[in-house]
Amino acid sequence: MPKITYVQQDGEAVTADALPLMTLMETALMGGVDGIIGTCGGICSCATCHVWVAPEWVDRLPPMGQEEADMIEGLVHRRPESRLGCQVQVDEALDGLVVRVPPAE
Amino acid sequence: MLNYDPFDYALHDDPYATYRRLRDEAPVFHNEKFGFWALSRYDDCQTAVRNFGLFSSAQGTTLEPIKAEVPTLINADPPVHTKMRHLIAGMFTPAKVAVLEADVRALAGELLAPHRDSGRIDIITDFAAKLPMAIISRLLGFPKADEDMLRGLTDTVVHRDEGVFEMPDEGMHASIKLYGYFAEDMKRRAAGPPRDDIIAALMDAERSGALSHEEVLGYIFILSIAGNETTTKLIGNMIFQLHRHPDQLALLRAEPELLPSAIEETMRYDGPTQMMARTATRDIALHGRTIPAGAKVALLFTCANRDERKYEDAEVYDVRRNPRDHLGFGGGLHACLGAALARLEAKVAMEELLAMMGDFAVEEAGLQRMHSPQVRGFTHVPVAFAA
Repeated sequence: MPKITYVQQDGEAVTADALPLMTLMETALMGGVDGIIGTCGGICSCATCHVWVAPEWVDRLPPMGQEEADMIEGLVHRRPESRLGCQVQVDEALDGLVVRVPPAE
Repeated sequence: MLNYDPFDYALHDDPYATYRRLRDEAPVFHNEKFGFWALSRYDDCQTAVRNFGLFSSAQGTTLEPIKAEVPTLINADPPVHTKMRHLIAGMFTPAKVAVLEADVRALAGELLAPHRDSGRIDIITDFAAKLPMAIISRLLGFPKADEDMLRGLTDTVVHRDEGVFEMPDEGMHASIKLYGYFAEDMKRRAAGPPRDDIIAALMDAERSGALSHEEVLGYIFILSIAGNETTTKLIGNMIFQLHRHPDQLALLRAEPELLPSAIEETMRYDGPTQMMARTATRDIALHGRTIPAGAKVALLFTCANRDERKYEDAEVYDVRRNPRDHLGFGGGLHACLGAALARLEAKVAMEELLAMMGDFAVEEAGLQRMHSPQVRGFTHVPVAFAA
């Protein structure tokens, strides 16, 4: 199972194992990560699963779709390495991925 | 004595005073008669929907024991839930449902046309009960001629007799008929040319071995019920709240761009889905009480939405509030898959209704409610309006 590490706002790093087909958002809920809310359950309409991807990982993630880009555009804490956790499906290639949880909007 | 009994019809009329007392006096409430527990504060409900390891859906999301053997989208935890949800979740994003707007508006116009000049309409039976079923039927590819029959059956499935803790026989019979209808529909499709819609995606999943035949049928069952019931009730509840809050209606008329905010506020303040249940997987200590492992736990979403610990003036209906973090659609992995579609349908429905109706008043003596432990809303909302 791929392991994903989430660095919370309080600085604590939480590592969670992704089950098959899970997204970064779903994996975060499984690991009880603070600050990843997942209000809309993954239909790309709340942006409460916003993460900053560690720079060395940005290009290794599947590319961003237009809907995700539009949602991120509206975020105060957006950065070039921003992604919505619900739009990134985890697979073995992402084992070891590190993301940071931005401040709440 | 403080009691929460969602099978009591009296609660359905006005649950909000009871809800306030639950939040204040018994945030972890135990119903001894039926043996379940209830969480009523926003933070507790939000934590519960996110923590699916502790609050499981696998024993169903009703307080009553589930009778179905087949896992469905709402009655499953990861990894089963993950597999099922991702099959079609991409079809329900805001951009994907936005293309339906013209269809929804055309259907709304057709439904309203016979009433336009009469000055009278039953918001539910003439309009709101028909619109969502027509759209979900279109999404699922069912013939228009079958819509009324399907809606009758799905309504019967969700009805509960007063004080009775399980689905009545009529509900079981209606469920069996629906499953039979869906099975026949899949046979017809298998014989015809391939289509590009939700059921086609589910049938592909069956062919690839990702879902069993029974799981596909269960999936269609859930989609047909979810698409029918709650959006109807949302439209009815919103007309009722605007009728009861003429200042808010005036605000909305003056600033139509407030409509999406007003819809979110209606979902928060008087959303149709009052409660969904989970099952505790371990003993849960909270607010000085212990919910035992294996117990059903009711998450009172609409109660949590009025928690003053979360929202300022939480018991005030304020169409400017735009509370996008309400729990009216639930939250976490099981958050309403059709939320974007519901928002679209509610927006178009309200635009068309408010455009048709000048001054209007709900004839309150004619209001009638549905009765369900989980969904709250009207079956009749008669309105007189200035044509």
